[in-house]
Amino acid sequence: MTALLEVEGLSKNFGGLQVASDISMTLSAGDRCALIGPNGAGKTTFVNLVTGVIPPSAGTIRLDGRDVTRLSAAERVRLGLIRSFQVARLFKSMTVREHLELAVLQRDRRTFRLFANVARVAGLADEVAELLGSMGLTPVAHTAVGSLAYGQQRLLEIALALAMKPKVLILDEPAAGVPHSESQRILDAIDRLPKDLAVLMIEHDMDLVFRFASSIIVLAQGRLLCSGTAKQIAADPRVREVYLGSRTNAH
Amino acid sequence: MTSVAERDGKAGRMTRPAPLGRRRDLDWIGIPLIAAAGLAAYWLLPEDLALLTRIAASALFVLSLDLVLGYGGIATLGQAAMFGTGAYAAGILAVNWNNDPFAMLAVGGLAGGLLALVTGALILHARGLTLLMLTIAVGQIVQEVANKARDWTGGSDGLSGIDPAPVLGMFRFDMFGHTSYLFALAVLVVGLVVARRIVRSPFGLACRGVSEDPLRISAIGGSPKSYLVVLYAVAGVIAGVAGALTAVTSGIVGLDSTGFSWSAEALVMLVLGGTGRLYGAVIGTAAFMGVHHILAANDPYHWMAFIGLFLIGIVLFLPGGIVSGVERLGGLRRGKEGGA
Ligand SMILES: Nc1ncnc2c1ncn2[C@@H]1O[C@H](COP(=O)(O)OP(=O)(O)OP(=O)(O)O)[C@@H](O)[C@H]1O
Ligand SMILES: [Mg+2]
Repeated sequence: MTALLEVEGLSKNFGGLQVASDISMTLSAGDRCALIGPNGAGKTTFVNLVTGVIPPSAGTIRLDGRDVTRLSAAERVRLGLIRSFQVARLFKSMTVREHLELAVLQRDRRTFRLFANVARVAGLADEVAELLGSMGLTPVAHTAVGSLAYGQQRLLEIALALAMKPKVLILDEPAAGVPHSESQRILDAIDRLPKDLAVLMIEHDMDLVFRFASSIIVLAQGRLLCSGTAKQIAADPRVREVYLGSRTNAH
Repeated sequence: MTSVAERDGKAGRMTRPAPLGRRRDLDWIGIPLIAAAGLAAYWLLPEDLALLTRIAASALFVLSLDLVLGYGGIATLGQAAMFGTGAYAAGILAVNWNNDPFAMLAVGGLAGGLLALVTGALILHARGLTLLMLTIAVGQIVQEVANKARDWTGGSDGLSGIDPAPVLGMFRFDMFGHTSYLFALAVLVVGLVVARRIVRSPFGLACRGVSEDPLRISAIGGSPKSYLVVLYAVAGVIAGVAGALTAVTSGIVGLDSTGFSWSAEALVMLVLGGTGRLYGAVIGTAAFMGVHHILAANDPYHWMAFIGLFLIGIVLFLPGGIVSGVERLGGLRRGKEGGA
């Protein structure tokens, strides 16, 4: 297996607060890896570092063998490193359909066509219709996202990430805030992801984690606590202590 | 957590799709309607053709501002830099080399576009107030250059002696302003068609995204700044054409065509009509300049105060501008925004 994403010694401190310290990991084609850890462990920060939203204090990130540590977030996206946001981050006045059109056009670098009609770009309508259908968003295709239910916004977040045809996909709590009836749809979509895609998913729901992941990484206070197969992690007493302990505190 | 989710689930069932198809169907009427209204004004107000011509050229300028502000979210008080540069370029061309009106428009558009491209690349990394200051600074610099280059621009006396050749070699610019007005109206309509096309293109869609959330655009692999620079340049072309159109139809170009107050006035007209709507630019310009004209003629001392009251009234009662009021009347509102 070729390593698609290699992270080495990644560190970040905000002022004095060490939110990521010396984190290393690799993700290969076809991997299904879960990143877990208590609230405030630094999971989202780790995603922000890897995707280039914030610069690291130390460490390197390689994508498909290429050092991307100094590339911008957009450049990493163009190389196939795509993430979804923990809190849905969408364009409030655009419709669901416009979001997907924009993502597909952007992916194909067709956004500098000043005089083309979006409605007539070849192949676009079909691809968007398929994305809408796969997430059950067809009935709300023409609804502005600002008036969409939160669960549906989450579905759109994922559809948007998929529209980019990623090589490495990072999902930050894709099911958070989604009603149970709709979270099944998200799981189904994740199950149907292309097999050779490398997926890293942050998730609190352990049922979901065990169903999805072949390997698990545990983060606590910005440090990599341990990593291993789902079985190993489930049996690890340290994980129970740190993870479950602070989970009960947090709620 | 669960309760929020359940509530959202219910809300989801209640949202109804916006009547997009219907809106689109009615949307195309706008431009023919403006053309028809323009022609009607030509027959009904033959005494006011000079004013109507100024309205048409100004509306094109305000339209360029709508692209920048309404679709790109770029705060600017320097759009007149492009307008004035286009006007001077067209005027200088006509006085020295070629007075064909279409050549003048082309050169004006080119000059406005180039200036916007260069200055946009330099200043569009900034946002908000910083950007506002930078756009004002660019306007001041352009005005100062025009002031100093007396030999070419006439300095503070203005550039006069612009005498455009007949349109297509057939229609003379007559002293009653018939040709001027019809020419200006035609250019405005073409400008609207072009702007509408751009707004609905993949590029227009991306620009809307940038104006709402530039970081989200980066997260799908786009570079917010390059969209803004291209949008600024395109709007610069339109502003330059509007400036050239003014040079063609009025025969003079003054320093105030590049000035701060002209930029600010355009902003007022745009907000009055409604931003991000294209037609708002035309309606706002017509309303502002029309009211201005009537009031200034009837009450030369207090018209400014009336204009102020008129503006306050519109902003208080129709925050989306005149066009939003018309849309509300027609039930054509966009899908409701910001539900949650
Ligand atoms: N920009 C910032 N400046 C300062 N501190 C920050 C910043 N962003 C995050 N933090 C801190 O870093 C720590 C890790 O936050 P992060 O959001 O990465 O946690 P998380 O593991 O994703 O938590 P959750 O499970 O709640 O999503 C927190 O203590 C947070 O307060
Ligand atoms: Mg998080």
